[in-house]
Amino acid sequence: MSKTDGYEIRLSGTGGQGLGLGGKMLAAALSSEGLHVAQSQSYEPTSRGGMSRSDLVVSRQTADYPLATGLDYLLILDKRAISISEGMINKDAVVLVDEELVPDPPSGHFKVHALPLSRTAISLGNLRVTNVVSLGALIALGDFCSIETMEAAIKQVTPKKYAQMNLDAVRAGYELVQH
Amino acid sequence: MSPVPGNSPQLQSLQGNQACALGAIAAGCRLFAGYPITPSSEIAERMSKELPRVDGVFVQMEDEIASMAACLGGSLGGVKSMTATSGPGFSLKQENIGYGIQAEIPCVVINVMRGGPSTGMPTRPAQGDVMQARWGTHGDHPIIVLTPSSVQEIYQQTIQAFNFSETYRIPVIVLYDEAIGHLVDTVELPDPKDIETTDRKWATGPAEDYLPYAPDKDGIPPMPRPGDGYRTHTTGLTHLETGFPTQVPDDVTRVTSRLLDKIENHRDEIEQYELLSCGDADILIVAFGITARASERAVNMARDKGIKAGLLRPVTLWPFPEKALQELAGHAKHVLVPEMNAGQLILEIERLCAGSVPVSGINRFDGETIKPNEVLAKIEELNNG
Repeated sequence: MSKTDGYEIRLSGTGGQGLGLGGKMLAAALSSEGLHVAQSQSYEPTSRGGMSRSDLVVSRQTADYPLATGLDYLLILDKRAISISEGMINKDAVVLVDEELVPDPPSGHFKVHALPLSRTAISLGNLRVTNVVSLGALIALGDFCSIETMEAAIKQVTPKKYAQMNLDAVRAGYELVQH
Repeated sequence: MSPVPGNSPQLQSLQGNQACALGAIAAGCRLFAGYPITPSSEIAERMSKELPRVDGVFVQMEDEIASMAACLGGSLGGVKSMTATSGPGFSLKQENIGYGIQAEIPCVVINVMRGGPSTGMPTRPAQGDVMQARWGTHGDHPIIVLTPSSVQEIYQQTIQAFNFSETYRIPVIVLYDEAIGHLVDTVELPDPKDIETTDRKWATGPAEDYLPYAPDKDGIPPMPRPGDGYRTHTTGLTHLETGFPTQVPDDVTRVTSRLLDKIENHRDEIEQYELLSCGDADILIVAFGITARASERAVNMARDKGIKAGLLRPVTLWPFPEKALQELAGHAKHVLVPEMNAGQLILEIERLCAGSVPVSGINRFDGETIKPNEVLAKIEELNNG
């Protein structure tokens, strides 16, 4: 799919990293701007440790094919998830990886950004918000969604108890890129 | 799911399996009996939340056999009933599906297909139950199988399944793959007041003259509403109009033929399909579910390259839209059947084309979906060949 028609986003890593929830937050944000978002996931029968991905196909109208075929924005939070996206990263795509968890990122006709995503989450006091830190960084790099829209979606999707933690995380990720 | 802010109230983000549950509720389903199994579990989960709100009953049974039996019992009790499962559970339900067909009990069975055989690949999509949906239960029998290819259509076809089951007094199967079942998409659900629902015919007239399996002119017997005073008898044995068993050859031929004919004679009302760019198609693709979506993109890509490709997407997988296929295949140079199995639907397509046109397939059974590029590559190969 060309970027004029729409675009495709993949959040990938291992089970337990909150990639499904991350996809849900992102979808809520993009839907709130009137876009059609087709979300799909792949996971292993074991809920933790196995390969996991969450894909979003974003378009103005319902997509003819709702699954990812060529990625425009790719997050990789575990080196074991590199292989599932090989051969389907679009030219000029934005690839964001965790600099510790993905020491040897893929290379090609796309821009790779290695950032301290998990370390930032730890500095906020909770490794488990790495997914949301990553979302903040991804929208800052990709410029497909404003931080304000993302924050509103996080408030909508997250239980109240965890809202502030996630809002801090998305802002921290956003600022990783801005600074 | 809450509506998406900023859009019309009906536009929402919804998962395929959740759409199935909401469609069932909209159709009037008030009993769900099931045993959760990946990748269908969200249907049971959502029904457990929705049914109490509409005074319905959700019951998790001890297994899939009992789930199917409870559906049949609920329906005989006058309540629209549904169960949902995946491959291994669908296998277990088969005997009672046959009972439902023989005793003419309306109900809806959802089968969200995963990789098989046996426990296979619980979280991976497949389309390997095409023939099981048609012939899973034993003996000569009719069946209706609907196969949606989008989240929106899962909602619509679940309603349609209830309507068909009520109209024709038959278990109706809704068959879709994990990829569609777990897809979350932006959909626009219709206003509930615009949804057409059908209810079964209830018996009327003098109770003393009532024969529970005497058909009306349409071949379908009215059902006795519990408490209305009609004497009835329900059995899986081949039975006469009285409901009591028979093995008299002429009687068996008559009642079994009626069972088969009640679907066969209503094909025109039952068969549904969708056509894309079929008018002048040299290469006719026949595909359903997520594979139809991949084929849709492939047809559009082929047309951009000047290749005359078209797509016939059966919505009723069984009975298969025979006439539509035969007419289109008559003008085509090649028929292509991509499917996520080792070659099942292609058998029916070959039977219907009867050698008049070459038929080939694209087959994957590795837990991966067939991609648009794979379909396009085959279209190009056939076009150059």
